[in-house]
Amino acid sequence: MDVYLPIAEISVNAPLLVALGAAVGFISGLFGIGGGFLMTPVLVLMGVPSAVAVASEANHVTGSSVSSVIAYRRRRAVDFRMGGVMAAGGAIGSFMGVEVFRWLRLLGQADLVVSLSYLVFLSIIGALMLSESLGQVLRRRRGEALTRPLRARRPGWHRLPWRMRFPRSRLYISVIPPVLLGVGVGVLSAIMGVGGGFILVPAMIYLLRMPASVVVGTSLFQIVITTAITSVLQAGRNQTVDVVLATLLLVGGVVGAQFGARLSMRFRPETLRAVLGLIVLLVGLRMGLSLIVRPEDMFQLAPGGS
Amino acid sequence: MGVALPPPPPAPVVLAPPPARVSAALTDTRIQVSSDFRGARIVLYGAVFDPERARHDVVVVVRGPEEPVRIVRKVRIAGLWLNTPPEVFRGAPGYYMAASNRPLAEVTGFAWRRRLRLGVDNIALEQEAQRTETLYGVEGVLVSPLEEDYFDFRRAVVRLKQREGLYAADSDAVRFVDEGLFRADIALPAAAPTGRYEADIHLFRDGRPVALRTRTLTVEKVGLERFLYILAHERPWTYGVVSVLLALTAGWTASAVFRRR
Repeated sequence: MDVYLPIAEISVNAPLLVALGAAVGFISGLFGIGGGFLMTPVLVLMGVPSAVAVASEANHVTGSSVSSVIAYRRRRAVDFRMGGVMAAGGAIGSFMGVEVFRWLRLLGQADLVVSLSYLVFLSIIGALMLSESLGQVLRRRRGEALTRPLRARRPGWHRLPWRMRFPRSRLYISVIPPVLLGVGVGVLSAIMGVGGGFILVPAMIYLLRMPASVVVGTSLFQIVITTAITSVLQAGRNQTVDVVLATLLLVGGVVGAQFGARLSMRFRPETLRAVLGLIVLLVGLRMGLSLIVRPEDMFQLAPGGS
Repeated sequence: MGVALPPPPPAPVVLAPPPARVSAALTDTRIQVSSDFRGARIVLYGAVFDPERARHDVVVVVRGPEEPVRIVRKVRIAGLWLNTPPEVFRGAPGYYMAASNRPLAEVTGFAWRRRLRLGVDNIALEQEAQRTETLYGVEGVLVSPLEEDYFDFRRAVVRLKQREGLYAADSDAVRFVDEGLFRADIALPAAAPTGRYEADIHLFRDGRPVALRTRTLTVEKVGLERFLYILAHERPWTYGVVSVLLALTAGWTASAVFRRR
């Protein structure tokens, strides 16, 4: 059963999209991530124009993250104040990102920047995750004690001006680092169509020193707000959000995510992180491949003609 | 379209036959793009009226709405394949199909093909930055800042559009089904742009155009697709807010459903 996507202007197989949504949803539930970094490359490979893939994926991430946020809120694992501060930065970042993306699209460089961002960010983050978690796995094998994250000394940037109390995270820190973190992730959500959880979670643990119990819920809350703003801006400025595409992916995604979340209880966190790190690394390298391999055709039609 | 037809023959002295005429009609003048759109087939029927019953050739050119084409070239910089800034071509049809009963080169010569813009090599493509100059005493010479690369770009535009099924020439698409009665089958891919299309039916005799008919058809989105497309382009902010609300509702519903289980 083929469905015509009104904004992407291509026909796709609807059950295939739903199944794809379910598969990526399963992986996101399993690893506790948004899944945008996986879905955007797959959509691009399927022939969806990258601008449409990026914008519709922001919309899809909004929907798929909402149900997780609700689940985390029940467990009181969301720091709404911290999430709100980061989302304020996220709004600024997504505004900047959408304008930059618009400009790149008109220059015919959108594809390049999408591939390059995937290559740089995913390869680095994937390699870091993989080495950190493999180290943990090896140490466990040898029966050594696991390294514990340092919480003893607070970094200097916590004492910058505009300090604020975050009771749930048990922090009293300047709002500047979380706002800047939000700005960065907002830019990425506009350019890469990702929620940015893969950057937010480690940054919140190692830079903001938030307790691990509230990190995932808070990052998802921030992601919902930032991607919601991004998709409104993408629709308003670039007209690239395909609501049919996003909805089909959501239908499969929300179901897959629930099963993934149940299965995740059975694995050790460091094993999951190692597998996730490997996937992130491979996706990054795959997207970067297009920059290195000699293109089949030396010419390419750029969008934004009419 | 300003097509120069040969002047009518001199006033008949004796009983000279009237000139040949061509008549044609489309089976559908509205092509509707809905959620199950996988492309369409345009069927055109026509008849040649010629008292002399000479052998004629028919060329049907279907052109979609004009839209500028932006094309980039890959260049290798520091080991990475990057895009050059786009070159813009104006006046390019969004869809182009030249259907004929035999290869265009057999129907008529190069001069007529170029003048009547028959065949994918003769599609009007004007580069935005090009200008006309007088060179070596020849007036109206087109000068492109791309210089000799211009032809590479032009060929690339045609090649890329052909790959998407948007530009094509088919020398089997027009068939004479009965004496003087012909039928043209034209494939419209799913990627075909929406808007007003023109079908020019050229009648050739001995390599010279003798008659022309023009028919129009509309390709339009209908149903939900039309509604969403129009909303997305005319009320983009409303569309954005609605799509986010839809995503939020879907996520919330899913969480409510799975909690109950």
